[in-house]
Amino acid sequence: MAEQYPILVLLVLLFGALLVGLSGMADRRVCFPLTVTALGLAVAVSIGILQRVMDGGVIRYFVGGWSRPVGIGIELRIDTINALVLLTVTTVGLLTAIFSFRRVRDDKTEKTPLFYVLYLLLIMGLSGMVITGDAFNLYVLLEVSSLTSYALIAMGKSKRAATAAFSYIIMGTIGASFYLLGVGYLYLRTGTLNMMEIHQAILALDGPSSTIVVAFVLIIVGLMIKMAFFPLFGWLPNAYSYCPSSTSCVVAPLMTKVGVYVMVRMMLTVFGTEWVFSNLQYTQWLVGMAVVAILAGSVMALAQVELKKMFCYLIVAEVGYMVGGAWMANHWGMVGTIYHIMGDAFMTLCMFLAAGIFLKQAGVVRIDQLDGMFRKMPWTMAGFVVGALAMIGIPPTCGFFSKLYLIRGGMESGHWFYVGALLISSLVNAVLFFRIFEIAYFGKNPAEGHAAHHEEPSVQPVIKEAHPSSLIPLYLTAAIILLLGLFNGQIVELIEHSLNGVQVIGTEILVEKGGQG
Amino acid sequence: MKWIGLIAVIFTGGLLLSAMDDFPNWGDAHSPANSSPVSQYYIEQTMTDSGVPNMVTAVLADYRGYDTMFETVVVLIAGIAIMAILRVAKQVPGGAKPTPAHEVGDQHDIIIGTTCRLLIPVLQLFALYVIAHGHHSPGGGFQGGVILGASFILAAIAKGLDPALQRLPEKRYVKLAFVGVVIYVSFGVACLILGENFLDYGVLHELLPTMSAEEARSHSMLGVEIGVAFTVSMIMFAIYANLASKGELEGGL
Repeated sequence: MAEQYPILVLLVLLFGALLVGLSGMADRRVCFPLTVTALGLAVAVSIGILQRVMDGGVIRYFVGGWSRPVGIGIELRIDTINALVLLTVTTVGLLTAIFSFRRVRDDKTEKTPLFYVLYLLLIMGLSGMVITGDAFNLYVLLEVSSLTSYALIAMGKSKRAATAAFSYIIMGTIGASFYLLGVGYLYLRTGTLNMMEIHQAILALDGPSSTIVVAFVLIIVGLMIKMAFFPLFGWLPNAYSYCPSSTSCVVAPLMTKVGVYVMVRMMLTVFGTEWVFSNLQYTQWLVGMAVVAILAGSVMALAQVELKKMFCYLIVAEVGYMVGGAWMANHWGMVGTIYHIMGDAFMTLCMFLAAGIFLKQAGVVRIDQLDGMFRKMPWTMAGFVVGALAMIGIPPTCGFFSKLYLIRGGMESGHWFYVGALLISSLVNAVLFFRIFEIAYFGKNPAEGHAAHHEEPSVQPVIKEAHPSSLIPLYLTAAIILLLGLFNGQIVELIEHSLNGVQVIGTEILVEKGGQG
Repeated sequence: MKWIGLIAVIFTGGLLLSAMDDFPNWGDAHSPANSSPVSQYYIEQTMTDSGVPNMVTAVLADYRGYDTMFETVVVLIAGIAIMAILRVAKQVPGGAKPTPAHEVGDQHDIIIGTTCRLLIPVLQLFALYVIAHGHHSPGGGFQGGVILGASFILAAIAKGLDPALQRLPEKRYVKLAFVGVVIYVSFGVACLILGENFLDYGVLHELLPTMSAEEARSHSMLGVEIGVAFTVSMIMFAIYANLASKGELEGGL
């Protein structure tokens, strides 16, 4: 059974979705338990996969048993990087599913089964993208995850959800088409779709090939639209802030992060870092663009008055961190990027879970409405503070360690602007979150607080603390943020294990680049 | 803004064309795609592996059946997404029902009615032929499913949406759409249970002693095509019914 784990993780989610679809129509109450069970099984299998990868190295699974000439069938290929990202995806899915409990209870429409079908298929699509070893199969699953996320976002109650989803569809489709065109160009020159085989074919090419370069550009630009890299992020803030809370909690942490993961996979496995960093002279420009993305995202976050919008612009800045880290051609930069994919997924989840609870319990949309939240909702604020400290980068949390690795990479490879941007962005985060703490602790105008309190104590509606089904995922997320930080050494060891396995980013390339600069 | 769009289009087009001189020649027998072991294998081995003359179907439903399974899921998602966004709950019985602007009454045009009555069975039979013959000649589950779905849509256009929905109510088409994917996946899971990798149809010959492994592959392809056809035809109709009635599933065009 254990050798079937890679396919099982997708099958439990797919079967979960089918069961919810078939039986949920008859009785809405089965949707939630079925969803949570399917995701729980998926998390268990992901842990099993991680265990197996740690023990026995890379897992190669050939669907349909077509393995003789590699490439006739579809290969699922899992090393420690995939396994960690897969575990992140399924865990975020499970936590958000628990969070969505309130949605089922309060929802009076008949769309609950449809919501959960789309939700499970979204997690399945993302998991499939993470574990596949086939460039075209990745596109198919990209379609699955994109279509489901468009629908989930468009299901939002506010009217702007539909328009936000529409612009997301347009941008997302362009991104996916660019990726597909790129895969087509790759196939034209290499004659295979298997990632490892493409890599071998590129290595075997005599002389530079402009087809491969164009393919590379198309794929990376397509992915940058998908991950909302700086100039191409226009669709993200509206799409992520006007959708239902339980949708934003799964879409915001995962979609951009899986996009970054696919970019890393393209760099490491498909094109190979030697080709990427030695045949292309312009990778330095990408680090420069990442610097712009970090600064622009932070500045725009400062300008926001709505809580979720602010988190959305922080995501733009965080994507800048990861793109910059991946392209600086440095071992620690790459390690930091992959570590940050996981850390940022949980940090973003924590932010959006808290925002969802504030919206639900107190109707908070704007930051200044958080007035006095430490007193009204102390338990929720406790979870929120952990996530906020991680976003700023305070030591025991994972946010600190990912910044540490990224900064180390920036210093070793001499990208001082990047290091500077990262530090500025951390300061901006500190300003943003301490502003929230101040409002939540002291109130909007501390001096006038007493007068307002005396005049109208009964006008304010009573704000109750959140339901346990909302607090449990929030606390679990906070715990994971701390655990990721405390066990960062072991996780980095795991990531390095795979980086060594595929021969990446040799120090000689680093030296070469350093010599040029 | 138009100028920015033009510049972007010219730039992208230029990028796509810039690699032209590096392309292999048109129809070159030694181009990487033609000379790779993958295409060689498909051309030489399809007949011995599964006895299916239509190589395209063999690649689609067997060698790369995993992709096709997810493509079927994509079709299902498209239908579910449209229902999730458009579908509105039934009006309260007491509420005033808006009368359609163009009331046509019950008697539809006799020419259209007769033509459709003659055409629909032929369409449906042809659809079944296309589905069943997918692995021998051009055709398959997607194409046959679309024709089958089109026949339901034709009925809905000719006789009105309400009679069509009486024949094929919402609960039933949603269920059948899911059943299509279930059929596809259960072929894969049967292989898992028999101890081989997912979608390794060859092992299914253990279920029927008279069947060889090649026949098992060939028949399984037919089986998954039938699953695909279920999903595609039902989702075609679901999309039409929801779009035509703005999600109310009443009145229609």
